[in-house]
Amino acid sequence: MTTGNPSYTNPKPCKHLADYKLNHGLSGYKSLQKHLKTAPHGKTSVGKPNTKTPRCISCDGFQDIERAELYCCVCCDQVYDPDFDKAVISKHIMGITGDKNGDESIGKRLVKRRRLSSGVVEELVDSKISKQLISMRDRRAKSCYPLGLRGLNNLGNTCFMNSVLQALLHAPPFRNYFLSGGHNHETCRKRSVGRLCLPCDIDVVFSAAFSGDRAPYSPAQFLYSWWQHSANQASYEQKDAHEFFISVLDGIHEKEVKSTQSRNQNRDNGDCQCIAHGVFSGLLRSDVTCMTCGFTSTTFDPCVDISLDLDTNNFPSKNTATKSIKPDANSSMSTLLGCLDLFTRQEKLGSDSKLYCQNCHERRDSAKQMSIKRLPLVLCLHIKRFEHSPVTKMSRKIDRYLQFPLSLDMTPYLSSSVVRNRFGNRIFAFETGESDISAEFEIFAVVTHAGTLESGHYVNFLRLRNQWYKCDDAWINEVDEGMVRASQCYMMFYVQKSLYQKANEDWSCLPISPRRNMFGQ
Amino acid sequence: MASHAQLSSHFFGDLLDSIIVDVASECHRIARLGLDRNLEEEEEELKLSAQARERVTDPNNSGEANSKYVVDIFGQTHPPIASDVFECMNCHRPIMAGRFAPHLEKCMGKGRKARFKGTRSSTAAQNRHSRGSPVSTYPPYPNSTSTNQLSNGTSGVAGEEYSNGTFPEP
Repeated sequence: MTTGNPSYTNPKPCKHLADYKLNHGLSGYKSLQKHLKTAPHGKTSVGKPNTKTPRCISCDGFQDIERAELYCCVCCDQVYDPDFDKAVISKHIMGITGDKNGDESIGKRLVKRRRLSSGVVEELVDSKISKQLISMRDRRAKSCYPLGLRGLNNLGNTCFMNSVLQALLHAPPFRNYFLSGGHNHETCRKRSVGRLCLPCDIDVVFSAAFSGDRAPYSPAQFLYSWWQHSANQASYEQKDAHEFFISVLDGIHEKEVKSTQSRNQNRDNGDCQCIAHGVFSGLLRSDVTCMTCGFTSTTFDPCVDISLDLDTNNFPSKNTATKSIKPDANSSMSTLLGCLDLFTRQEKLGSDSKLYCQNCHERRDSAKQMSIKRLPLVLCLHIKRFEHSPVTKMSRKIDRYLQFPLSLDMTPYLSSSVVRNRFGNRIFAFETGESDISAEFEIFAVVTHAGTLESGHYVNFLRLRNQWYKCDDAWINEVDEGMVRASQCYMMFYVQKSLYQKANEDWSCLPISPRRNMFGQ
Repeated sequence: MASHAQLSSHFFGDLLDSIIVDVASECHRIARLGLDRNLEEEEEELKLSAQARERVTDPNNSGEANSKYVVDIFGQTHPPIASDVFECMNCHRPIMAGRFAPHLEKCMGKGRKARFKGTRSSTAAQNRHSRGSPVSTYPPYPNSTSTNQLSNGTSGVAGEEYSNGTFPEP
């Protein structure tokens, strides 16, 4: 089974179906197509044929009329054929858009094909410079602990900042960029004397964290700069880790865009090459379907993270009809996969929010479905633990435990999977132009929150070379995986599996004793 | 002539059969096309998490998660309030690290505003996070006025002293 583009195995057609197609071609499918009835919600059935369809006679199979599936009487099994599925889907398309051609994928909108998204970052990820920098680091560093592991002093309720900084310090592509001189604060300051530059301050933090000095560092200058930057927004008083994260990425983007790109026009389609977007930005797809005619309108929006509602009702996964049943252990536990299922579930919009359908030319009941068109290198998942009641105007925090995996396969949430599933998983290329980014991720940082909305504490757990570390402001301690699993997660940082494995290889500790030498010398 | 009861039972049976075959057909297709998720891995993760939670809530446990730290992995200890002293980049006075943020807030003239969550644009936040709005819910570069936040630290504390983030029991 390949990773990356969600492929399904094209099953070998049963011999009998293959024989039929050799003898009769696709004419049977075409005549059957006339009788197909498609429904707006994606299901297909066969209307009552007026005459005997030729297939009943000449082939050994017949139709499941209610579901438009092929059944081979000789094999005594349901069989699948890409050509048949294509005929089914073409009927859908013809029905919706009146397009007689019917060969284009549904709802496809030409999206400017983004060059391999890791293009910008790839060079720096592989850079040898970063390795050389490490060899020059202070060898007095307490050995056998990962580089860059350093406590951050709490400057007065700044754990929201510290926890996110730790995640950024150890996000492989982000870290490599800064350590290999992607934004050198010494050379940059010369160009912009006295002007606020958040990437410079981040570079300073990186230098400090990876200097080899293990005494806790005070990110005071960074705080000062960030406060000045966020004073420009309305939210300088935000003490929320997620808001801080968004704000920092925004600050980097602002500065990097000005200095490296002359135009700002890439903003809209998410092709921004600044390091913040290069690492964290993905693309979301939103489909709004008219429940009357089935016409679907699709929009794409870039995002630097995904905010998820808790799946408090534990919806069954839509991609597996066979859900493992462990009623006591799992039936009431919220899981990250459950939240992602909820996020990509087709949601009927209320009758009070009918949307205008371009096909019907009036407002109709609609359904909306989100999916991920393109995954980022580093995926930040944010859990909305905030509940706001419009009635009482009160807000409260949801402490409910959320189970999350250490290895995450995002395939079921990709647009190709979600859209295909909406049409009954027919063998058809629904999505084109998806990048080659793999869908397998490994977690490397978890920001947890304990306490209430008004007063609480953030702690970050880092996973470096498969060892977990608890970063509680100035205090760094080794912890076991169980403690992380049992924690109350608020933001989870996943990185593409290949980058995670590479990071583990490259960044072995500096040994005092001649054990392992990471440069292979 | 079939009785009403027989008829309704017959129709019910048909409906039920149809629903069952719907599900079976769907599963069959998913399985045959290789679309099913890796259930073993998922179950393994669920199991590990459940075990971890049990261990943590076990009263026999030493409560290592929340006990005071003695030393960190580098063998260092740290005071509750960071005691490094450095110069404020605004006023150039020496400030203790653990009190830097509240100092800076005053120093930069922002003052100690009372938390006023209610007046922030909560409708904007709702729309931004609601799945029902017709426009994209993910503005590319959000400038947040959202109330969807978890603040840390206590609120409404006035005066010079600034209490450190509390460590409440989870």
